[in-house]
Amino acid sequence: MVVMVDTNLVDVPLKTVNFGTILSSILIILLAYLLTRIITYILIRFSERVGEHRITVKMVVPLLKFAIYGIALYYILGFVISLSSSQLIAFSGLLGAAIGFGLKDLFADVIGGLIIIFEKPYQIGDKVKIGEYYGEVSDIGIRSTRLITPDDNLVSVPNYLIFTQAVASANAGSPEMMVVIDLFMDPDSDAELAMRILKEAVVTSKYVYISKKRPFTVLLEDYPFYRRIRAKAYVYDLRYEFEFKSEVTRRTWKEFSKKGITAPQVNVMSEKTMS
Amino acid sequence: MGITLVKKNSNEIIGYKQEIESIQKAITDFESGQKLDIAIISEPFAGRSTLVNAIEEMTAHKITKRSFSSIVRNKEELMFPERPKRIVVIDNSHFFYLRTIGGFNVLEEFLKLVASSNNLFITTWNIYSWNYLDEVINIDQFFPIQLKLPKFTTSEIKELILSRYREDELKFLDDVKSENKRPVNLFKYPVTIKPLKKTINIPFLKINLDRLKVHLSRKEEKKKAEDIIFEMINRVSNGNPGVAKVIWEKSLEYPTIKPSYVQEFSFKITLDYSESFILYIILSMESINREELVEITGESKVDNILYRLSQQGLIIVDQGYYKIKPEALKSLVEYLKKTGVMW
Repeated sequence: MVVMVDTNLVDVPLKTVNFGTILSSILIILLAYLLTRIITYILIRFSERVGEHRITVKMVVPLLKFAIYGIALYYILGFVISLSSSQLIAFSGLLGAAIGFGLKDLFADVIGGLIIIFEKPYQIGDKVKIGEYYGEVSDIGIRSTRLITPDDNLVSVPNYLIFTQAVASANAGSPEMMVVIDLFMDPDSDAELAMRILKEAVVTSKYVYISKKRPFTVLLEDYPFYRRIRAKAYVYDLRYEFEFKSEVTRRTWKEFSKKGITAPQVNVMSEKTMS
Repeated sequence: MGITLVKKNSNEIIGYKQEIESIQKAITDFESGQKLDIAIISEPFAGRSTLVNAIEEMTAHKITKRSFSSIVRNKEELMFPERPKRIVVIDNSHFFYLRTIGGFNVLEEFLKLVASSNNLFITTWNIYSWNYLDEVINIDQFFPIQLKLPKFTTSEIKELILSRYREDELKFLDDVKSENKRPVNLFKYPVTIKPLKKTINIPFLKINLDRLKVHLSRKEEKKKAEDIIFEMINRVSNGNPGVAKVIWEKSLEYPTIKPSYVQEFSFKITLDYSESFILYIILSMESINREELVEITGESKVDNILYRLSQQGLIIVDQGYYKIKPEALKSLVEYLKKTGVMW
């Protein structure tokens, strides 16, 4: 029996891949890595100096990363290993098999990363909730998105989660972000005065941002044993979300105690309340 | 706080011709039955007080004027000792509020008075306070006529400054080096790489905006030292007459002035958020004491912050009241806009 073998395909790894090409490839990847680090560093530093366009500048970072790594891969395959078109087909087959056997998650992460960049469900600098994690997006990489949680933990969320999880972005690419502040008061306290105090605490806060597009509001809601006053207002920089909340709450309660507005009382079932 | 925009030996005011016409028209309309209250809004040092003084002089018998220089805490201070005339001028109305809980009571009372009174109110406001109050309490609804004082042109600044001197009293000399006359120059910026302990010079192009404008307008041959100097002063002061006067005084080596004497006053501002906020409060109130700043910010570190602001040459203290340094105005406004403290 005569077996026809395409020698062109069989010779791919032996003829073209040697120590020199491996070294060159590593060098190119290393250069691409260094370049992305330098560009990331410069752009992040620059973004802090441009005020309201901070997030727009930061959004260029993942785009450049993908472009640099893409060019590096193209250069390695096209010029260092110098794959011919038939070799490229063989390589694609190999890649397909690798994806099928074990690298499918990595591939899904890369595709997820591309979708994040072009569809922009969130951007670098956004405050997002992905799955059970909430935090500021510090980086969108080839494989994962990095979040900094309010407790300063760095969480790496695989990019493929974009296909399976709902993503909530609190600011959707804008540096401003709405913050909701809830305070609970005794139903016998003066609600009108309490709303006025909370409103003034919000509008005089050093962190607040008010404009025609970003208005503030103070709402009252009645519950059986307490009343809730809710303020909704924007911070100019979402990084001050918790400082804003804390500052408004602290100043409001200080004023409440001066004006005799109290927190809800604990309602213990007693003979008196039962009767 | 006020600066004089009036020509020496005359009562004629320099600049703001259109604004004066608008105010005079509003007064005429008021006399024929239409009450449209006026808000005159400007940056610090732009000459609001001088403008209302000029209006007062023009219509002296019809106007009652009150001027405030510190925060008004008591509603009674709004009351006039005697029955006011039909037109009421309130200078520095931004002193009616304090950015703190309960700090709007006097302002609300004042706005009620404006809305319910038959008098015509001509008020002046700091523009940064006005912008804040506009977003927070829609103050613009109370003042149908809002006059935002425009920047002075170079010729107005020249007229304002030269009106204080006799003709030929000053010597204008052109000492601009030929390289500075080029619109674009090549400079080398030294950068030290700490790990290598080496300094390398990075070449960069510096654009001389004044020269570029002159170059593009093709009027170079006609430019005299005098014109170059006032163009520089106008640019550095950003068309603010009060700031222009300060820059002039700091640049003049009587009786001589040269372009090289005109200082650029570029401030390298590095502040944290709390420092920026206090700077913004001083800018928007124009004059405020330490206790009021503590009340607004609740900061225990107000003294440290004020020290840092003074150290960077941004504020001055005058009899216990903190004020913006005129020459720092342009730099700090640009900085505060970037930080988002000011909107």
